[in-house]
Order: sequence, then C-alpha cells, then structure tokens
Amino acid sequence: MGEHGYDVVIIGGGVAGLTASIYLAGKGFRTALVSRGDPACCLSTGCIDVLGAHEDPMKGIDRLPRNHPYRIAGRRTVIDALEAFLGLMEERGLPYRGSLGRNTGILTPIGTTKTTCLVPITMEASSGFTTTHIHVVSFKGLRDFYPSYITSRLANTSVSVFDAGTSSTLGLATKFDEPSFVDDFCAWLSGLELPPGKIAVPAVLGLKDPKAVLQRIRASTGREIFEIPTLPPSVPGIRLFRALKDAFLARGGHLYWGNAVASVETRSGQVEAITMAGPCRPSRAHARAFILATGSFVGGGLFAQRGSVRETVFDLDVKVPGPRRDWFLNDFFSPGHPVEASGIEVDSSFRPLGCGLKNLFACGSILAHGEIMRHRCGHGLAIATGSAAARACERLLS
Amino acid sequence: MSFEHCMRCTVCVENCPVAKVEPRFPGPKQAGPDAQRFRLDGEKSVDAWVNYCSHCMRCQVACPYGVEVADIILKARLKYSKEHFSPLSSHLFANAYHLSKMGSLAAPVMNRITPLPVFKQAMGLLGVSDVPDLPEFRFLSLERTRRSKGRGRRVVFFHGCHLNFNRPDIGRKAIDLLVAFGCRVAIPRQQCCGLPALGNGDLEMARKFALKNASMLTRYVNRGFDVVYSCPSCGLTLTREYPGILDVPGARKVAENTYHIFEYLLPLVQDRLDAKGLRSIGRVEASIAYHVPCHLRALGIGYPSVGLFEMIDGLSFTVLDNDCCGLSGTYGFKKRNRETAAKLGAIAAGAVRETGCELVVSDCGACRIQLGHYAAMPAMDPIEIVADAVSSGPLANKRRTLAERVASLFPSIKGGTP
Ligand SMILES: Cc1cc2nc3c(=O)[nH]c(=O)nc-3n(C[C@H](O)[C@H](O)[C@H](O)COP(=O)(O)OP(=O)(O)OC[C@H]3O[C@@H](n4cnc5c(N)ncnc54)[C@H](O)[C@@H]3O)c2cc1C
Ligand code: SF4
Ligand code: SF4
Repeated sequence: MGEHGYDVVIIGGGVAGLTASIYLAGKGFRTALVSRGDPACCLSTGCIDVLGAHEDPMKGIDRLPRNHPYRIAGRRTVIDALEAFLGLMEERGLPYRGSLGRNTGILTPIGTTKTTCLVPITMEASSGFTTTHIHVVSFKGLRDFYPSYITSRLANTSVSVFDAGTSSTLGLATKFDEPSFVDDFCAWLSGLELPPGKIAVPAVLGLKDPKAVLQRIRASTGREIFEIPTLPPSVPGIRLFRALKDAFLARGGHLYWGNAVASVETRSGQVEAITMAGPCRPSRAHARAFILATGSFVGGGLFAQRGSVRETVFDLDVKVPGPRRDWFLNDFFSPGHPVEASGIEVDSSFRPLGCGLKNLFACGSILAHGEIMRHRCGHGLAIATGSAAARACERLLS
Repeated sequence: MSFEHCMRCTVCVENCPVAKVEPRFPGPKQAGPDAQRFRLDGEKSVDAWVNYCSHCMRCQVACPYGVEVADIILKARLKYSKEHFSPLSSHLFANAYHLSKMGSLAAPVMNRITPLPVFKQAMGLLGVSDVPDLPEFRFLSLERTRRSKGRGRRVVFFHGCHLNFNRPDIGRKAIDLLVAFGCRVAIPRQQCCGLPALGNGDLEMARKFALKNASMLTRYVNRGFDVVYSCPSCGLTLTREYPGILDVPGARKVAENTYHIFEYLLPLVQDRLDAKGLRSIGRVEASIAYHVPCHLRALGIGYPSVGLFEMIDGLSFTVLDNDCCGLSGTYGFKKRNRETAAKLGAIAAGAVRETGCELVVSDCGACRIQLGHYAAMPAMDPIEIVADAVSSGPLANKRRTLAERVASLFPSIKGGTP
C-alpha cells in the first residue's frame, strides 16, 4: 500500500473542496485533494448563484434561517470569499463579472431568464437581453440547442446557423481554440446583414482563452456578443472547474483524482488517516486535518436509503427533515423539496456536530439547511463555506 | 461499476480527447454504457466506431459514479476484433515487442532505414502513419545488460519495452537511482506488459505475455521483492488489467506489491534527507512543463514525480494534466488515427508551449515522442531530471565503479540517445 503524509487532506473535488484546497495550498500547507470523479461544477452553467431568491443577495443573507450555512459563515466571510474568487478568476484568465449587491438575469437556451450573481465575462453582455435585438447564432447539427425556443418567447430576435463541421459543444469549443477558425467565423458573421443589437451564441467560445475569442469577435463585428449556457456537456462549467483545479496545482497542491475514500481511521477524537480505494490498489494518506466536501446526493456525499440518509465517508450524523413522507412536495418541479435540507450540521468552525472529531471540517452542498434549489445558492454556498472551513482549518494547523 | 450505474451526466464526454476532434466518434457515454445494453451475447458487433477510442481512460478517471466506461469500450473493441478482420497495422502493433526485439538486434541498420521515405511508404501500405518518427532502437538493450545491481531492499524492475529497446539509458538511470537509495535491483528477463496487444484487439497474445510476466513476478514477490515500474502504461497493465480483464491467476498479489518508481522512492529519499538534515536532493537550473500521462492519472496514485521535483533546487515546473498527447501508445502511429493524433498532439503541445518553459517532461515514452515532435523542444523523462539533480547534489555517490570509469572512456558503447 502506498503511503502519503500531508498537513491537510480535502475529500471531494467540487467547488467547495477546490476553494478550500486553493486557500490552504496558497498558505503553504502541504495539501492533498482526493476526488472520486469530476464534480457538479462540470455540468453547471459556470455562473455563480449566490442567492437567487433575493434581489440583493447580501441583504438576503440576513433573512435566511439562522441555521443556513451562509449565516454560520457570516456575511463578512461570504463577501471576502466571493471577492477572493473574483481575484482568483482574474489571475487564471477567466474573469467573472457582477455585483454582490445585485443579481443579474441572463438568457437561457429556452428563452427564459436565469437569475444569478457572478457570470463569466463571456456572459456579461447577456444582462438586459430583453431591451435590444438579439441575433442568435447556432451551429449546424448542434444537439440540445434549439433557437426556436428563444425566438418563440422573445419578439426582437433572429437566427442564423453556421456550419462548423462538428456538432458537439466540445468539438465546437475545440474549433474556437484555433485562431484560423475564429477568423472564418468572424468573416461569416460580418457577411450577415443584421439590425443593430447583440449577438448570442451557445457557450462554445473555446476552452483555452474564451476572453480572447470574445474580444476578437467584438473587434471584428463591432457588436456585443455573449454566450448562452447549454445543457451538459457544458463548456463554461469545464472552464470554471479547470481554472480552479489548475490554480490548486499552481500552488503546489497534490491531486488524487479518480480515487474514492473507502475508509477512515480515527483515534481519540482525531481523524488520523484515510484510505483511498484506488483504481488499481489502495493507498493511505495521513494528515493533521481533514475537510469533507463530498457534495450532497448528486456528488455522492449523501446517500438516501428507504427511511434515512447516510453520510458516505465518516458515517456522520445526518440531519433529515422528518420521516420519508415529508421529504418531497407533490409538485415535482417546485423549487426545493424538503429533503434538500438534509446534510451535516456544523458548529461555528464548520466542524460536524456530534462526532467529536476535532480535526474534521465540512463544507459545500453536504451541509444541512443549505437548500440550494430553493435559495438558488449553489456555487456561492460552495465558495463561501469552502473558504470558511479552510480558515477554521488554518487556525487549527498554525 | 457496470453500465447500469450510469447517470447519463456526460462528464465522461467532457473528458474524451478523441470525441472533441473526431465527430465520427460518439464519445464514451454512447460508445460505453449507452450501447452496452445492445451488445447481446451471440450478436455480431456493428459498432465499428468503438475502434476510434484510444483507451486513454480519461473518461473512467472522471466518472463521478465509478462506471468503468473505458473498460466497457475496451471489451466492445475486443469483441469487435474477434468478429471482424483487423487491419494489418493492428497485428503489427500487437506484436510491437517482437518487432522491437528485431529492431534492437539490427539497431545500426534499422535506425538508418526507419527515417527513409521509402520505408515510410512501405509502412504506409501496412497502415502505419508517417508522423511522428518511430523511436530509434538501441543495440545494448536493458535485457542485454546486467541482471542485478546494488544492495538493500529487494526490488525487481519492470522496465517495459520502451526503456528496454529504445531508451536503455533512462532505464540504467532508474536502476542507479534505486540503488543509490538503498535497493538491490533485480532486472530479470521479461516480456512486453501486453497493453499493445490488448489495445490492438489481440486478447490471446496479451494474456500470453501477462501469464509469463505474472509468474515471473510472483516468484519475486513471494521472496519478498517489491515490483517497481517507470512506464505508467506498463504499471496500469500490471496492476489493473492483469487481475482485471486479463484475469491472470496470482496477479492481485503482484499488484498489491507494485509501485511507480517515484511513488517507491519518495519515502526513501525523504528519509535520507531527514537523516542528513537536508532539504533538497540537488540543483537543476531549468523550467519544465510537466505533462501528466493519461495512464498515470488512471493509476490513481497522484503525480509522484512532482514530489521529487519539489526537492530539487532551481527547478521550476508547471503541471499540465488537461490534455491527452494523442499518441496513446500505438494508437497514433496508425494511419487511420493520424488526423486525430495530430490534432490532439497540437493541442497538448500548445499547452506546453504556452507555459514558456524550455523543456517538456513526461513519464511516458509515447507522450515524449509526440510532444517532442509537436512542441519542437527536447522531451525528457523525470528520471533524467532527478538523476541529474542527485548526481550533482549532496547525496551523490562520488566514488565511481571501475566499470563506470571504463565506460566513461568509451561513451559510444553506452547505448542511449547521443
Ligand atoms: C446539473 C447541475 C447544474 C448546476 N448548475 C449550477 C449553476 O449554474 N450555478 C450554480 O451556482 N450552481 C449550480 N449547481 C449547483 C452547484 O453545482 C453545486 O451546489 C455546487 O457546485 C456543489 O459543490 P460541492 O463542492 O459542494 O459538491 P460537488 O460538486 O457535488 O462535489 C463533490 C465531489 O466529491 C467527490 N466525492 C464524493 N464522494 C467521494 C468519496 N467517497 N471520496 C472522494 N471523493 C468523493 C465527487 O466525485 C465530487 O467531485 C448545479 C448543480 C447541478 C447538479
Ligand atoms: S460520467 Fe459516468 S455516469 Fe456520467 S455519463 Fe459517463 S459513464 Fe455515465
Ligand atoms: S478511453 Fe479515452 S478515447 Fe476512449 S472513450 Fe474514454 S476518454 Fe475517449
């Protein structure tokens, strides 16, 4: 069995685990990140929902229930964490735009508005899309993107289709990474006779440097252009994930990907080590502190059984909203079924309650009372609590 | 996990290098779990597109639900090859070991012939691509040199084909590093790990190689030896495919005692440094782009070479793990995959060049051939970097053996790249 020693091991490579890992590696701690697979972030729009249910997310925090993870972290920590995120994205060449004091609305592929807070620069011009003409450009054969949804909902729109010789979001994004392809696309765009307004494209403007692609198209057409998020495979989701993962590697962090934590060793109120199952053979990592960021039901941190919910790594106590008959609302599409509030309750230092493990912290969607769908606070909550747990962990380590 | 556990999330598709440049490949979700329910026993395969898969395993590493996507596709490819004629190039590459053996025996002649246009044309008729150049052969292969070296912890070195026939110089450095940190290294006769045969649809040949290697390694493991490899693809085959798809008896025990060279050396080096109160193993003034091979990721052991880079003064490095080099062992050498391999090679090389580094470093021989070609810069094995640091550093063994002194007088007999 392989053996590794670290200051801290983070379990789960989603936005929460990555945020915590980047912070601690950046402080010079020997940091390892273990993840079974790619996180929910890769399927997301890449937009940071902070608190979609309120017009002003920061004011909205104070109106959340006291046990909501944002309230445990405190407004100041939430702001600091999101501002640090903005700085980090600037550093990684994937700038985000938006104001923490006001949500924005962006165009979705079905012509509706998505309320969110921070958006990648490629979606900045989407805000206010109802006030001007939008020319939607699609790509021949692109699956799961039907501009007629948009044109049937929005009056002031038109559509044209470009044949790029490939029809998947990733295939297209790979093409947009080639400058010669961008030139061809710009030449084609300039040939269209469009009324004044903006151009919208599905989110495929390159994996490497979408900011540069955006600028080139803007310069050549003299128009604002923005991306519309797509169904997965989601290019902006992958960009966000890679930017975070690469930031962690650049800070000297060690990555154990494709590795599920299979068992843990605890002694006298401390977690001592974890065993990674490994695709070939197990290995063991011991550390002074551990952060649990394995996500909720989608990520695999929580597992629902007939009448209870299990935490899958440490078998921690899971707070569940009553018996199973109370878990779901009758309307499937209503935002936020009560079962969503399930998760791990933590103290003010983001340590799980009731387990007595002094060097274990938890963050992200595994936390109880987050109710991400109801409050629309997915990545925002992951960033804020990832940062809060990392700071608490830092105090323990130093 | 079987195909039934697939959530249809498309994470695997997001990670597939081939699907993003080859529109004819539907991607791992469709080629894997989606199509699996239609692959009934007794029905002839019609899904020729499974052969576009390069078996890089990135899909499998990424799947959040543990679905063995790449394994499902590999099995579909084996089924397909069994039921259809395979192109000549597949037979050729399945047999890479025997061909390399001949290449090595006739090295001085072969190395003059392989770059010739007429040779490339002849190979083209067999379905072999003309870029990048095939690696040069060395006459003094590892298997033709000594059988054991050093004293201490018992280690058996699985060098694989590339170090054996093409880069024995790196193999010797690996052995010397193990010796320098207290190992007695056995270098027994060994066969190809079997991956080229497996990847080219020849399960029987792969199993033949595997059975021979596993029985040899089992004898060593039973005597208390640990197995050490440096090629990630050999490592993956030994530790995952032998006990898995190749179903080799006793392979589980071998796998449990098998390590990547730097995974193995890291604690030994750390102990040595701690004992001497040192922080670094030596100095190498360079900035390197470290390209993580896909099969190293698939091993799930982290990036052990990075642990050693951190112990070298003067070395700055950027870790690159988003791209597949596109060569994937023998995949990119086939004419059928020429375009795909070239596009992926250019993408991965682009990431290397963007770092502004002067050198690309990778643990896999195929990655080095491909990236050296497309990034047009020297490509080295981490073993070379670490050996360089150690030989100039505070842990160096200053006394040279007689053999080494003699060898240094006649550099031409040393074998390896000039
Ligand atoms: C389809 C989809 C779209 C979304 N879109 C948006 C959006 O547009 N904007 C937004 O703000 N939010 C969005 N969300 C919500 C948001 O993605 C999540 O709330 C947030 O990213 C959760 O992050 P996390 O780090 O807590 O967990 P996760 O992202 O779930 O990550 C958990 C990680 O832990 C790993 N893991 C689990 N078990 C183990 C184990 N035993 N050992 C090792 N590793 C393990 C998993 O593989 C995974 O990588 C979306 C969610 C989904 C599912
Ligand atoms: S990543 Fe796994 S679960 Fe998701 S679609 Fe691919 S095989 Fe299915
Ligand atoms: S093994 Fe590699 S090439 Fe094959 S489907 Fe998976 S990711 Fe694609």
